Amino acid sequence: MARRVAVVGAGMTRFVRRAQETGKELAWEASREALASCELPLDRIDAVCLTSAPDAFDGVHMKGEYLSDGAGAFGRPFIRTYVGGGSGVFTAIQAYYTVASGMADVVLAVAEEKMSSTQPHPQGAFLTIFDNILERPLGPNLLWIFALEMNRYMTVHGIDKRDIAAVAVKNKRNAADHPAALLGQADITIEDVLASETLAWPVQRLDVSPISDGAVAIVVASEEAAKQITSDPVWIQGVGWNLDTAYWTNRDLVFPEYVANAARMAYGMAGVTEPRKQIHVAEPYDPFDYKELHHLEGLLLFDRGKAPEAVRDGVLDRKGDLPSCPSGGLLGVGNPIAAAGLMKIAELFWQLRGDAGARQVPGTPERGVAQAWGDLMQVGTVVVMGREGGPPTTATRLETPPAATPATSLSDAGFRSATGAVEDEIGARYAWDAGVAIGRFLDGLREGKILGRECRVCHRVLVPPRMFCERDFRGTDGWVQVENTGVVQTFSICNVRWDMQPLDEPELPAVIAIDGSDGGFLHTLGEAEPEEVTIGMKVEAVWKPVGERTGSILDIAYFRPLRGEDAG
Amino acid sequence: MLERIARPEQIRRWEGDLPVRHRYTPGVAGDAFFTALEERGVLLGSRCESCAYTYVPARLFCERCFSELSADTEVGPGGELVSFTIVFRGIEGEPLERPQTLGAVRLDGADAVLIHRVEPGEEPLEIGERVEVVVEPRSRRTGSILDIAGFRVVET
Repeated sequence: MARRVAVVGAGMTRFVRRAQETGKELAWEASREALASCELPLDRIDAVCLTSAPDAFDGVHMKGEYLSDGAGAFGRPFIRTYVGGGSGVFTAIQAYYTVASGMADVVLAVAEEKMSSTQPHPQGAFLTIFDNILERPLGPNLLWIFALEMNRYMTVHGIDKRDIAAVAVKNKRNAADHPAALLGQADITIEDVLASETLAWPVQRLDVSPISDGAVAIVVASEEAAKQITSDPVWIQGVGWNLDTAYWTNRDLVFPEYVANAARMAYGMAGVTEPRKQIHVAEPYDPFDYKELHHLEGLLLFDRGKAPEAVRDGVLDRKGDLPSCPSGGLLGVGNPIAAAGLMKIAELFWQLRGDAGARQVPGTPERGVAQAWGDLMQVGTVVVMGREGGPPTTATRLETPPAATPATSLSDAGFRSATGAVEDEIGARYAWDAGVAIGRFLDGLREGKILGRECRVCHRVLVPPRMFCERDFRGTDGWVQVENTGVVQTFSICNVRWDMQPLDEPELPAVIAIDGSDGGFLHTLGEAEPEEVTIGMKVEAVWKPVGERTGSILDIAYFRPLRGEDAG
Repeated sequence: MLERIARPEQIRRWEGDLPVRHRYTPGVAGDAFFTALEERGVLLGSRCESCAYTYVPARLFCERCFSELSADTEVGPGGELVSFTIVFRGIEGEPLERPQTLGAVRLDGADAVLIHRVEPGEEPLEIGERVEVVVEPRSRRTGSILDIAGFRVVET
């Protein structure tokens, strides 16, 4: 039987550009604040859970160990996890089960990110998120996946871009009341968002959360310890996490089923049977504005395609019926990746204790949900938190987080000229081989054929092919040649490279479902004007001349619209 | 299901890298340490009174008790050689023209040890012997760990 577990303290640094503090120093500022908020000395901490982005991000080997002293891990059981953007919420889940299992009574959970070290742009460290053989030759940009998902979500549900922009407006306005926020803006309007630069249509600059440095920490305790530490613990009532298939182009880009699965797991544990009635405040993950809506639907708080109405009607406002991202979210407070997720847990802690000051949602909410999401739209992490046993007793507490929490922003010139600064690179190169299934697939491309693998249990033809079916976990049964035609599932018109430098000509990335298969892949469109491309358009592969093919995804030069009768 | 690779030369490879560089700034405590080293040629540590421990280089906080620290304690220039090694090959395994000696030194007034190069002397090194920091002249100091030229044995 799992023990009951509560959050008893929280702290965070300001989220800034180019923090003067090192990653360790940021982690310490947040950790110290979290301990001070519940008046605990470090020696009451039994174990430490930490999360931070991959080592390549900061160029620090074994970053967990590097950050450990700032997270209070000296001489303690310590573990670092990373599940992409889902990490910040996941580290709270890890702290939960470390305490629920009886392994520890009091755990410090810390999330730190310092994105400013990565030059010229942090996206460079994310390029290997794409398949090195099937996708990277196309020159993908992290914005592509968001633009592609956003376009399909908008198109399938007929969503007006204004309703998506309204999320960015709401969150940046909310953040104006957050003492730690990087991008709070009380007077921003929908027109400002719609007028901002188009990066990868439909994604515009103000649809996106900012690169940031920062850290967040929480203190998690067993029931017995929690009651000694505070009169107002906030209970972790349910946790859930879930993964979708590793082949992102094979997923439903309209509905995040993996978030729904994680939510069902957390709600089941928390005894939540009617989420829309039993959840009073939400902190869904909002690295892009549409993601908040997408995730509110995944959290089963709104029917599919209905979250946009909620933001339009003010339901998601801080004083609305279901306040969503009252903190200001990633769009307003900032997005130091792992730290941003744990910031959402901290916000629920403050909201449910009535400690959120100017950000406080009215009506003494009793239960909230926080969610994060990560990797290539694969990971969903969900935590349900609640206050039990009457209203909070806020008599002696200060507004949180205190406005003084450090994290000092360096100017760009200060960053460039800092005494003692060092610039370096890892300097490693990699060579990837294709493996069995993709090797044969690429041989097929050289012959002008698109090949899939058939699973006779789930009756799917898998493209890209794999030698095993991830659903049935058995070897697939045989090779199938599929058509050279397909249907555009979604597309984007991308104007920037991965380092945010402008492109001379826009690119047209698209996810194409290949006829005769149950999947599809990422490629680009050609012989098409951007304005004529639609979701649902029939396209065909345009092959390179036989002599120029090398057994590469680029043996298909691009896909072009099927014209005339063939367009069906 | 596994296919035997008969002609490894025909395996195709896709080469790539992570096209990023990193810029590290030294942080709050590091800024104080490197500024003092560059401007005054001294090594600053941080003393935690409650743990009775002095860190070097300076730190913003004590990892043992989480107290805030300041860069308030000048350490060295003398110290004790805690350990050393002599390196004969470089990072790629190539033989070095001149073997390089690295030492771990507990500077006077510090508890933490500092790793740096040791200038070779006439006699073989011995663990426990007295060494001192050699700082580059002011004109050559840039606010870098290399403003310390290394350690040398104190002649007695």
